[in-house]
Amino acid sequence: MKLDAAKLPMPPGHFVHEEWPYEPRFKRVNGWRIHYIDEGSGDPVVLLHGNPAWGFLYRKFIKPLIAAGRRVIVPDMIGFGLSEKPVREQAHSLDGHIANLTSLLRQLDIRNATMVCHDWGGPTGLGFALSNPDRVRALVVMSTWAWPVPPAEFHKRIFPWRMMHAPLIGPYLLGRHNALAGRGMYLSVVDRRRFRDDAQSVYEGILPDPATRLLTWTWPRWIPLDDTARGLERFQWLERELKKSKFPTLLVWGREDEVFDHKTFATRFKELLPHAEGPELVTGRHFLQEDSGDEIAKKINAFLDRIGRRKV
Amino acid sequence: MKQVEVIEKPSHEGKRKALVLAEDRVGHYPEFREFFIRCFSLDTNGLSKSGYIRGPSGMLYSLVFVGRSGESFPDGLEIYALVDALEPLSEEDVDTDLWAFLRWMIQGIAGEWKVEDLDATGRLYQLPFLSRQG
Repeated sequence: MKLDAAKLPMPPGHFVHEEWPYEPRFKRVNGWRIHYIDEGSGDPVVLLHGNPAWGFLYRKFIKPLIAAGRRVIVPDMIGFGLSEKPVREQAHSLDGHIANLTSLLRQLDIRNATMVCHDWGGPTGLGFALSNPDRVRALVVMSTWAWPVPPAEFHKRIFPWRMMHAPLIGPYLLGRHNALAGRGMYLSVVDRRRFRDDAQSVYEGILPDPATRLLTWTWPRWIPLDDTARGLERFQWLERELKKSKFPTLLVWGREDEVFDHKTFATRFKELLPHAEGPELVTGRHFLQEDSGDEIAKKINAFLDRIGRRKV
Repeated sequence: MKQVEVIEKPSHEGKRKALVLAEDRVGHYPEFREFFIRCFSLDTNGLSKSGYIRGPSGMLYSLVFVGRSGESFPDGLEIYALVDALEPLSEEDVDTDLWAFLRWMIQGIAGEWKVEDLDATGRLYQLPFLSRQG
């Protein structure tokens, strides 16, 4: 009998948490085992995290969205959460991650989806939406970008950004010392005490060993800094296609986000998508879901209700 | 903090190689690759020799340069501690030695890469042994 790893009951690292009572599900995507949850029924809302998070980032969104009659799908990007974590940097590429998401959402035959995109969930989720427009109904965009160089002044600076993921320093600082899932996220929320008490250990614990943290320093290396960068053409394509797209879109941004600051980034999204609603500002730095999860879930429900009424 | 010292190939007798750090993309910033080429004469040695260093703790390390067809050499780098074959590693020594190695590397790369920025990054992310050192 052939063993199908995607159908095994539970891989190592079973996760138990009172705020995460969801049944773990798995599929194979491009040869990797991807974890996701799939709860509720109705038009799907796909919640996409970035670096170094996983689906847990959206724990405050899930119940209100389900209660409003929606199906909620939360995948863990390959390399994070309960998904398989490749141990070679060469296993990761922007196109590969878009293809992973595409594989999952086609296997689930997702239609009429709202893609909620944050951080690297932006380039990957928008990449899916723009290459599968027949499956997507709307976009919610938070603290991310979708255009070529440079994303932000912060990303060009040596201290701390480029130093943190530089050759050998990335594997040391983010690998041996788990700096991004621990201290990095802590610095990127507003209510740091609450984050430390309620969530930090969950993000640190899901990446227990240096080899499981590879993507935390690999993703920063995929941010284009000049026109020789890997992924540059994909970002040019994202910008070009986004400008042509007509998806109803809601922009939600953290008021205190100093990396993807709303004045630069939300404004740029508004230029690309003049029909977008927002930006609706909430309390939050880069990981705004940690500070304002309930409020953002309400905003998404209200937005989807509005465009639902428009459709009728 | 004591410096890292480049040494000739030491005896491997009674030792084992313990992998302590691996980098798949040394040339992500090309000046890092150039530093290792300069330091270990990789333009002439190619894959034929490993590099060796002594860390501040006295522990010896082997630097194994990795080539990958289609990519400039070296593409990867693996760092192995040379430890007594049946003895466990001192993780504390490895941590501080690797930190000294990173400082030595940044010092050698120079230009816009500054040791003060590395130290500030280590402090920002609260490396435990940095706080122990005060």
